[in-house]
Amino acid sequence: MADETKTLTRERIALGDLLRHADDKQKLPAAVPPKTVPVEPLVPQPGQQTLAVGQRVTRPDSRNHGLGQTKYIDDLTLPGMLYAKIKRAGIASARIVRIDTSAAEAVPGVMAVITASDIPVNSFGPTFQDQPVLVGDIVRHAGDGVAAVAAVTEQIAAEAVEKIVIEFEPLPAVFDPLEAMQEHAYKIHAPNSNIYASKVIRKGDVEKGFAQSDRIFEGQFTTQMVEHVPLEPHAAIADWDANDRLTVWATIGRITLARADLARTLTLPMSRVRLIGTIVGGNFGGKNEISQEPALALLSKKAGRPVKGVFTRSDEFISTTTRHPFVMNYKTGVTKDGRILARTVRLVLDGGAYCSWSATTLGKACILASGPYNIENLISEAFVVYTNKTMTGAMRGFGAPQVCFAYESQMDDIAKALGIDPIEIRLRNAFGEGAISPTGQSLHSVVVKESLLTAAERFGWEERP
Amino acid sequence: MKRRGRGVACMWYPIGFTVDANPSAAVVKVNEDGTATVLTGTVETGQGSLAVLGQIAAEALGIAAADVYLVSGDTDTTPMDTGAIASRTTYVTGNAIVRAAENAKAILFQTAAQMLQVAVTQLEARDRKIQVKGFPQHSVSIGDVAKRSQVVLGQPPIGSASWNPPTVAMDPETGQGKPFSTYVYATQIAEVDVDDETGEVDVLRIAAAHDCGTPINPMLVEGQIEGGISMGIGFALQEEMLFNADGRQMNPNLTNYIMPTSLDMPEIAVDIVANYDATGPFGAKGVGEPSLVPTAAAILNAIHDAVGVRITSLPATSTNSTSSCNGCGRRVRSTSRTRRSTRACRSTPTRRGTSP
Repeated sequence: MADETKTLTRERIALGDLLRHADDKQKLPAAVPPKTVPVEPLVPQPGQQTLAVGQRVTRPDSRNHGLGQTKYIDDLTLPGMLYAKIKRAGIASARIVRIDTSAAEAVPGVMAVITASDIPVNSFGPTFQDQPVLVGDIVRHAGDGVAAVAAVTEQIAAEAVEKIVIEFEPLPAVFDPLEAMQEHAYKIHAPNSNIYASKVIRKGDVEKGFAQSDRIFEGQFTTQMVEHVPLEPHAAIADWDANDRLTVWATIGRITLARADLARTLTLPMSRVRLIGTIVGGNFGGKNEISQEPALALLSKKAGRPVKGVFTRSDEFISTTTRHPFVMNYKTGVTKDGRILARTVRLVLDGGAYCSWSATTLGKACILASGPYNIENLISEAFVVYTNKTMTGAMRGFGAPQVCFAYESQMDDIAKALGIDPIEIRLRNAFGEGAISPTGQSLHSVVVKESLLTAAERFGWEERP
Repeated sequence: MKRRGRGVACMWYPIGFTVDANPSAAVVKVNEDGTATVLTGTVETGQGSLAVLGQIAAEALGIAAADVYLVSGDTDTTPMDTGAIASRTTYVTGNAIVRAAENAKAILFQTAAQMLQVAVTQLEARDRKIQVKGFPQHSVSIGDVAKRSQVVLGQPPIGSASWNPPTVAMDPETGQGKPFSTYVYATQIAEVDVDDETGEVDVLRIAAAHDCGTPINPMLVEGQIEGGISMGIGFALQEEMLFNADGRQMNPNLTNYIMPTSLDMPEIAVDIVANYDATGPFGAKGVGEPSLVPTAAAILNAIHDAVGVRITSLPATSTNSTSSCNGCGRRVRSTSRTRRSTRACRSTPTRRGTSP
């Protein structure tokens, strides 16, 4: 019975929303023509022209999705196509002493095997080119690829990968970001420091702000590493043709950058690389850069046949980017009536073995760390450090979910300690139109307070005595 | 005993890259039958961007969304685009498409001005017609205009344009600057039940009020928010990649990496906060990433409200929070309703196993 009620409520809410939005947006333009010619507005206004914006238009891909007719990489086959598998290091920090691929090459059906020495420029990355396509020397996390095999079937490729022998000399490793920051820590990209990017935002005078505060709240918050888990794993097909022109079909959200990276790693003129972005079966930031594509291209060149690579779920976890774990220290000074006078934030991001989109994540997190609140006196500093773990990179929210967890947890602690309603304390501090952001930017179209009041009304939030 | 709690979290989030140039370019071709083809270098990654971009082109041309066909994601045939990243597609690619459509429309207007014997400034495109402002009965169909432009006047109505959000570099010492062109804002409020004996957390409902500027397609905005909340619930309560002491992953599979399924979803009530950003296409900003930003914070505040436990380390699982429970021995943990039997995997005391 309870479940029935729940379902009905949900339906009622959904229908209500639908009708409300539909009513707002589907109003027909006024039928009576104006007497005078209207002045051209500076910007086109929705609803004043043919109805397109604001409509609940059906997606052009929905029918194909619904009928199972969408063609993802795994649905595509080219004549003579081979299947690739990548051998992973399986050790977090080591020097490769020897790689023996002869047993793999001898497996019937194996058409090509490549290692680091086959790659013209063995590095890539959107900010720093610190990531090898296949590792030839130093292994920096257990998911590093060491060799790639192309065979006539996926099973043969998997079998051949198992026959590759790698001799390692283990190296020291560091897994904790705070430990990796220390001077004596093992340097993952020697001779460089493990701290590979930092950012600071200073505004006002925090010492003065804390001195004027009635109460000071301090806390440390930490978050974990998570995966994007798209339904479709990383997948691509590379076809290196007889004219030395490379076509790659890939499930990737950024084809312009991917083509540039491919051309660079393969030392091909960009005009010889065509990248076709197929329908992506979930991205969430995880498919914003190349991964196995250069290896597939070189296997195709070597074998003279198109090569497909589809990551297993395990490959997806151990070798692709993930969300940064954060260690966040917040210190906030407030008045008795809950106004924030000063805040210092220190963020340490666990960057994993390679940079990927860490510098961008760091920047966004550092800027957003103080929350949508007016704070006159602020220091926000952020560091990202290498560790011998799966690399972290772009993921939906780019550092914002982590800092939001910290600043909003502390906001509730402050509200509770001061006896102020959680909605009210946010309204007192929230940005309004024209508010100045931590970076000194004047903000426009700001609706923090409106969103607080709308959500509170929808939820049925009532102040407790 | 189950204890109920409520928690609020709000957020701000930027649209587009941090300072770095992130342009998009687009080509809009109006066909002889009055439909249009848009070439864009972005890629549909499941979020419905092609539907939204088609609506933007249609609005700019005065035709219906179904009249627009998009060709996307090919470095040989489509113009450059920085890509489906940073919640920028609607805002940046949308702005490029508006401008490209305006350029194509300018050619149509020149032709239509001759056909209707009025000045170009007197014209507007609407309802698949080009008409004289204020006198809609005085009109020609866009298809006829496009055909005449191409076949008689030799000027095919094709427009191209690019757009890059204006930013100002940040000072390296103080961080002062204009890193983003615009931001969106949102609040989510969660209601949870926490079993104070088992520590099980059940997220009952979430009210989500999001700003995205003009919602180009409210249905897709709601879809993004609901999907984001699912991801936020996993981040708050369930998901965690575990490493052993040697730095190897212990749960690189969907048996032991617990994430929300449809059965874990609470009731979600989405409100799109009325807003208009004059810098966006028809007032639009974006919604992709912001949808999950406040979810975990709201849930953790609701747990705190329910049982007085301030969890400072995500995810809020039992091993993570027993020590933080006011010494009362209460445990807070989340349970996937579909995978309760696999919970044991999460209780292994390896969470901090990566630190030697």
